[in-house]
Amino acid sequence: MSSEVKPLLTIDGLCFDFSSQAQAIEKPGNQILNQVSLTVRKGEIVCILGASGCGKTTLLNLIAGLLTPTKGVIELNSQKPKKRLGYIFQSDALFSWRTVKDNLLLAADIDSSLDKKTIEQSMLQYLAMFHLSENILAKYPIQLSGGMRQRVSIIQSLMFDPELLLLDEPFSALDYYTKLKLEDEFSHFVKERGTAAILVTHDIEEAVAIGNRALIMNGGKLQKEFLIRSEAVVMERGTSDFAEKYSEIWTELKSVVSEIQ
Amino acid sequence: MTKGNSNSKIIECVLYPVPLLAFIIIWYLATQGSQERQFIFSSPAKVLEAFWRLTQSGELLQNCKVTIFEALVGFLLGTTSGALIGLSLWYSSLVAKIAKPYITALATVPIFALAPIVISWFGIDIYSKIALAFLSTVTVAIVQSYQGAMAVEPRFLRLMHVLGASRGQIFRLVVVPSSLIWVLNAMKLNIGLALLGAFIGEFISAEQGLGFMIVKASGLYDMATVFVGVVALIVIALLLTSLVEQLEKHLMKWKVQ
Repeated sequence: MSSEVKPLLTIDGLCFDFSSQAQAIEKPGNQILNQVSLTVRKGEIVCILGASGCGKTTLLNLIAGLLTPTKGVIELNSQKPKKRLGYIFQSDALFSWRTVKDNLLLAADIDSSLDKKTIEQSMLQYLAMFHLSENILAKYPIQLSGGMRQRVSIIQSLMFDPELLLLDEPFSALDYYTKLKLEDEFSHFVKERGTAAILVTHDIEEAVAIGNRALIMNGGKLQKEFLIRSEAVVMERGTSDFAEKYSEIWTELKSVVSEIQ
Repeated sequence: MTKGNSNSKIIECVLYPVPLLAFIIIWYLATQGSQERQFIFSSPAKVLEAFWRLTQSGELLQNCKVTIFEALVGFLLGTTSGALIGLSLWYSSLVAKIAKPYITALATVPIFALAPIVISWFGIDIYSKIALAFLSTVTVAIVQSYQGAMAVEPRFLRLMHVLGASRGQIFRLVVVPSSLIWVLNAMKLNIGLALLGAFIGEFISAEQGLGFMIVKASGLYDMATVFVGVVALIVIALLLTSLVEQLEKHLMKWKVQ
């Protein structure tokens, strides 16, 4: 990826201390982020790895505006991030009392300027893209499998057409094969649409398979950065090419991650 | 439905009336042949006789209508306003903090203690009974709805925040629907409390209603009529509860599915 391309997201000298938060939505503990700086470009998937409690989710919450930084700058397209980033949580955040369709059309309830017909069309396109049948639209989330619910969650956050997607271990609760499928669908989507994503994960294989870069976090700091691939290409996992090309980075990542854990 | 399921349904239906029938049989056997015991405990036959008499004269229906009206109006006013107040407290933790001791105080005062004040303010007509039914139900609805509003899953709030929803939209699209189960629970609790409020009002001072009928009959040692009044209250409570359950089924259909 050429370095001349202007970054979509710029984070510079970000510091955070939970004790200074007066109106935090959630206070999971007294974690600190210390001088975190990073950039994310369009079409890029940046994976953040690190031990539990090292500040990965806090970083996402700060980018999403759920928490206020103690110090530092977060800019999306050289501006303070507006609302409507896509945020996909570890477990789906689908409203149990709404049908899948109503969950997906939540965007129209929040932003009345959106044309309902247009977003209904987008909804159908996304359903096809993530291999979901239209039959599920009339169902309630409780009637779907975990993988389906997570797909619907991803589509729900895409309905606002976000430039940046924040993903907090969204595939970790899924079975192995559903996870592989969904990871591939997701990385295809990011490449095709030219959007960008920050993916928090504990899974090194996942980072190597779909990430462009992997950042290792430790004690609230970005400790090391790995370039996995600069090209916007989705590698098919399980091929000898994949294994050959990425075994070295996989081993290196694994040794750094196991050192800090 | 599987065969096993249908068999257990049949067994359930057969077993349902067994405790009631056992009670009636024991009651009948215990009071049979003794005028004294029948005077104190009445008997199934005498209760049936009183039921027939009160039905034929229209007295039972009229008193039921009055009690149902008082309880229902008090229930609707108390539950609706309580739910609105409880849910609205979600907007301001400061107001919720200030309101808490007042709500607790109102909730802990026995409705019996308030009855003389309410009757002297609203008179002995149905208004005082409606006010007592209202006071019996409003605090439960406030507490339940507020708890429901505060128990909204944090991930729903985070999602709405990230999507740029306003506080009003979060309230309308998330807080209200996700608290519905709490409001429905308040409704179920309030059916009995509304009847109790109306009944206490009638018990203390009234010219009609089931409470009045029971007080009058007990003064005359007419235990059979007292039993008819008690059974009528139970039937009304069961009917109103089943109405709330139907409403719950309709509103919570996602849960049933």
